[in-house]
Amino acid sequence: MATSDPTVRTAPAVDETGADSSRILQTRGLRKEFGGLTATDDVDFALEAGELRCLIGPNGAGKSTFLNLLTGQLEPTDGEIYYDGADITGLASHERVDRGISMKFQVPSVYEGLTVAQNLRIPLQQVVGPDAFDARTHEILERFGLLDQWETVAGALSHGQQQRLEIGMAMATEPKLMLLDEPVAGLSVEETADIAELLREIAGDDGVALIVIEHDIDFVETIADRVTVLDGGSIFREGSIEEIKADPEVKRIYLGGDH
Amino acid sequence: MGNSSAFWLGLAVAVAVLAALPALFGLYAAEVGAVFLAYALLGMSLAFIWGYCGILSFGQVAFFGVAGYAFGIIAINATTLTGLTLALLASIAVSTAFAAALGYFMFYGGVRDVYVTILTLVVALVLYTFMGQTAGGEWSVGDARLGGFNGMSGVPDLAVGIGSTGVEIGLLGHYYVTLGALVVTYLGLRALVNSQFGYAMIATREDEDRTAMFGYDTTFIKLVVFTIGGAIAGLGGVLFTTQNNYVDPSVFGITAAALPVVWASVGGRTSLIGTVGAALAIQFVDYRLALSGSEWALVVIGSLLVFVVLVMPEGIAPRLHEYVLESREDADSSPVPPDPPAAAEEVSD
Amino acid sequence: MTGAGLLNFGFEFVEIFAFIVLATVGLAVIFGMMGIINLAHGEFILVGAYATTFTFAAGLPLPLAMLTGVVLTAVYGLVLERLIVRHLYGRLLDSMVVTWGISLVMIQLTRIVFGNTAPGIGIPFGQLPIVDGPVYYLVLAAVAVGVLGGLYALFMWTEFGIRARATMQDEATARSMGVDTDRMYMSTFAVGSGLAGLAGALYAPVMTVTPEYGTGFLVEAFVAVVVGGASVLVGTVLASGLLGTVNAAVTNVAGTFMGQVAMLIAAIVAIRLMPDGITGVLADWRENRGESQ
Repeated sequence: MATSDPTVRTAPAVDETGADSSRILQTRGLRKEFGGLTATDDVDFALEAGELRCLIGPNGAGKSTFLNLLTGQLEPTDGEIYYDGADITGLASHERVDRGISMKFQVPSVYEGLTVAQNLRIPLQQVVGPDAFDARTHEILERFGLLDQWETVAGALSHGQQQRLEIGMAMATEPKLMLLDEPVAGLSVEETADIAELLREIAGDDGVALIVIEHDIDFVETIADRVTVLDGGSIFREGSIEEIKADPEVKRIYLGGDH
Repeated sequence: MGNSSAFWLGLAVAVAVLAALPALFGLYAAEVGAVFLAYALLGMSLAFIWGYCGILSFGQVAFFGVAGYAFGIIAINATTLTGLTLALLASIAVSTAFAAALGYFMFYGGVRDVYVTILTLVVALVLYTFMGQTAGGEWSVGDARLGGFNGMSGVPDLAVGIGSTGVEIGLLGHYYVTLGALVVTYLGLRALVNSQFGYAMIATREDEDRTAMFGYDTTFIKLVVFTIGGAIAGLGGVLFTTQNNYVDPSVFGITAAALPVVWASVGGRTSLIGTVGAALAIQFVDYRLALSGSEWALVVIGSLLVFVVLVMPEGIAPRLHEYVLESREDADSSPVPPDPPAAAEEVSD
Repeated sequence: MTGAGLLNFGFEFVEIFAFIVLATVGLAVIFGMMGIINLAHGEFILVGAYATTFTFAAGLPLPLAMLTGVVLTAVYGLVLERLIVRHLYGRLLDSMVVTWGISLVMIQLTRIVFGNTAPGIGIPFGQLPIVDGPVYYLVLAAVAVGVLGGLYALFMWTEFGIRARATMQDEATARSMGVDTDRMYMSTFAVGSGLAGLAGALYAPVMTVTPEYGTGFLVEAFVAVVVGGASVLVGTVLASGLLGTVNAAVTNVAGTFMGQVAMLIAAIVAIRLMPDGITGVLADWRENRGESQ
C-alpha cells in the first residue's frame, strides 16, 4: 500500500494537450514493474467526469494492476496520477476514497458475517450520521433490488446479489470515480442486463465516472461510452466500441500474440 | 452477549455475586479472587484486540508486567499519597505508551497477521530473559531492587490522594477496586465495540484491504486498538502487583503469555464476557487443583484448549449464544428480534 | 582480539550454531511443508531425551540409545499427526494454539509419570585444550552439518525429496500430478518429529533432563524458523548463522542472558525488516535479477 504523503500538489500543466477541466482522472507515464516484469508500461490515460470507460484486453494485459495503481493498493514504479485536479500519486488508499474514488473488487468482497444492512453501514458511516443510516440504507437497497434482504447475512446471498450489494456499497461513499473489476463475472444474462442498466444510470444520472474491466464484449457494447484496450501493460487502442470491434489488430492480440 | 433484558439481569446477578464474595467466603477468598479479577482484565484486553480487530497478540503480558514493574519502581521510591497516585497513573501511562510504540513499529512497518503474533511473543520473551538477569544489587532504581528471577517485593498497596488527603486501599478495598475496574472497563469496551469505531474495527478484522477502500485508515485503527489493549492490560498488571505486593519475571514467560490466549480461545474471543468467564473459571480450577496437591491442572487446561479449538473454534460463549438463539427461534416464531440480529453477535457484545 | 579470544569466540559460535541448527531443523521441515508451527516441538525434543536417557540407563550403548530416542519420537509424532495435527493444516494460528495445549499436557504428564528428574548421562569424549570446552561440542557441530547434508541429499536426490519439494512449492499441482499429499504430510511430520527427537537425544548428556528440558530449545527453534522463512535448508542455515553470531558475540561480552536477549532483539528486527524471512528476501532478490518465471 502507498504510504500517505501529506503534500498534495495541485496538478501543474496536467493537460498539455489543451485545457479540459472536466477531466476527472489522468495518468502520466504510469509504470509498474514487478522484478523483471513490466505490468504497467508508461500509461497515459485520461477520463472525463461522468464518462463510462470500459477497459478490455487479453489476460495478463495489466488491467487489474492498473486499477490497483489507481486505488493505491499498489505503488507505481514511476509516473503520476491526477484526480480531480490534484496529484494523488503519494496518497494512501483510504485518503483517495475520502476524495471520491471507490472500487468494486474482482472477487465479491462483502462482509460475509454481517447482515446486508450492517454491510452498508460500513461505508455509510464515513459519509452520513447515524440518524440517516436507515433512510440511506433503504434508498440504496431499493435501488439495487435488495430491499427484502435487509437482515440477511451477506454470506447467504446469491453471487448476483453479492455483486449488487458490493456495487451498492461502493456507491454509498458518494464517489465521483468508481472502478469496477469484472462486475458481471458469473452472472446470468438477466442479472448482467440489470447491472448494465444500473451502471448506465450511475454514469448518466449520478454523473459518476466509471472504469469497468470486463471480458463480455456484448456487455461492453451495452454500456461503454469509450473503450480502452490494454496489451502487455500499455494502451493498445482507444475509441468507441464500434471502432474497437472493427479493428483487426484488436482481434489479433486476443487470438494470437505472445503472452 | 446481546441486549436482551435476560442478559442484563444475568450480568447484574453475576456482579452481585462477585460483590458478595468476601462476605460469603471470607477475606482470604477476596485476596485470591482479586488476582483472578486482574487476570480477567488481562484476558479482556486480548479479547478486545483479537476478537474484534483480529490482532492475536501473545504479548499482552508484556504490558501487564511492565505496568506492574513500573508501579513497583515508582511506588517503592515515593511512598507518599501523592507518590502512590503518581505511580498508579504513570505505570498505566507507561504500558500504554509501550503498546503505542510497539504497535507503531509493527503496523506502520507492514508487519501482518501471524507475524504480529510472533513478534509480540518474542517481545514478551525478551522481557522475561532480561528481567531474569536483574538479580544483582546494581539492578535497582532508587530503593527498588528489580531482583531478577526472585522478583521485586515490597510493592506498596494502592492508594489515591494528594498531600495528606486521600485513601489507602486495604485488602477488602482492593478487591472492590479491582471488581469495579473490571465492570467499568467491560461496560466501556462494550459501548466502544457497538459504536462506529467498533464497526470500523470489525470491518478491519474481516477484510483489511476492502475496508481501506471504504476510506478507513486501517493501520491507524489497529494502532489505536492495540494501544487501548495495552492500557487495559496495564491496568490489570497494576492491580495484580498491588494485590500480592510482588511481581517477578514469570509474568513475561511463555506460559503466562499463552494463558490469555487460552482464556480467549476457550471462552470465545469475540465475547468479552466469555473470555472473562473463562479466565475466572480456568484460573480458579487451576488454583484449586494446585491447592489439593494435584498435578493435573495443566493437563486439564491443555486438554481443554485442544478440545475447544478442534471442536468449537469460536469458543464456548459464542456456541452457547447460538444454542440460546436457536431455541428462542424455535420457541417463538416472530421473525426478527428488535436488537442487532443473531448473525452479527460479534457486534453486540 | 587475541588469538585465544578469537578461538574462544569461534568455539562459542560453533557451539551455538550447532545448537540452533539441530533445535530448528525438525520445526523447519514441518513449517516449510505444512505451514504450521508446532509449539509442542520442545516436548518432542523431550521425548527424544527421555527415551535416550532411560534406554541408556537400561544398558544400551549411547549411540543406540540415541537412535531409540529418534525412532520413538518419530513414531510418537506420527500418532499425534493422525489424531490431532492433520486437522490444523493451513491454520497457522490455530496450530500454534493447539500445539501449545499439547505441550502443556505433555510437560505435566512427564512430570507426573517420571517425576522431576531423569537419570543423567555424562558428556563423552573429554575436554579440549585452550578453549576449555567439551570435545563433544565439536561432535555435535559435525552432526549438525551432517544432518543438513543429509536433508539436502534427501530433498535433492531421492524421489521422496522431489515429491516433497513439489508439494512445498504448489500443493494443488503436486496433487494433480499424483502425489499423495496426505501421506506426504504424514511422512514429513514423522521426519520432523524424528529430527526433534535427535536434538533431544544429542543434548541429553549436555543438559539436565527434566520435564522442562524442551523449553530450552523452543525459543531458539521458533525464532530461527520465523527468521529463516519457508525454505528448510537455506532458511535454517542462514537464520542460525545470523542469530548464532549475535548470540555468541554478545555472550562473549556480557554473558549468556544478554546473549539471549540480543538474539531475540535481532529476531524482532529481522521479522520487521523481512516479514517473509530470509527465504522471502532471497526470493525477491532472485526475482529482481530476472531469474524467476
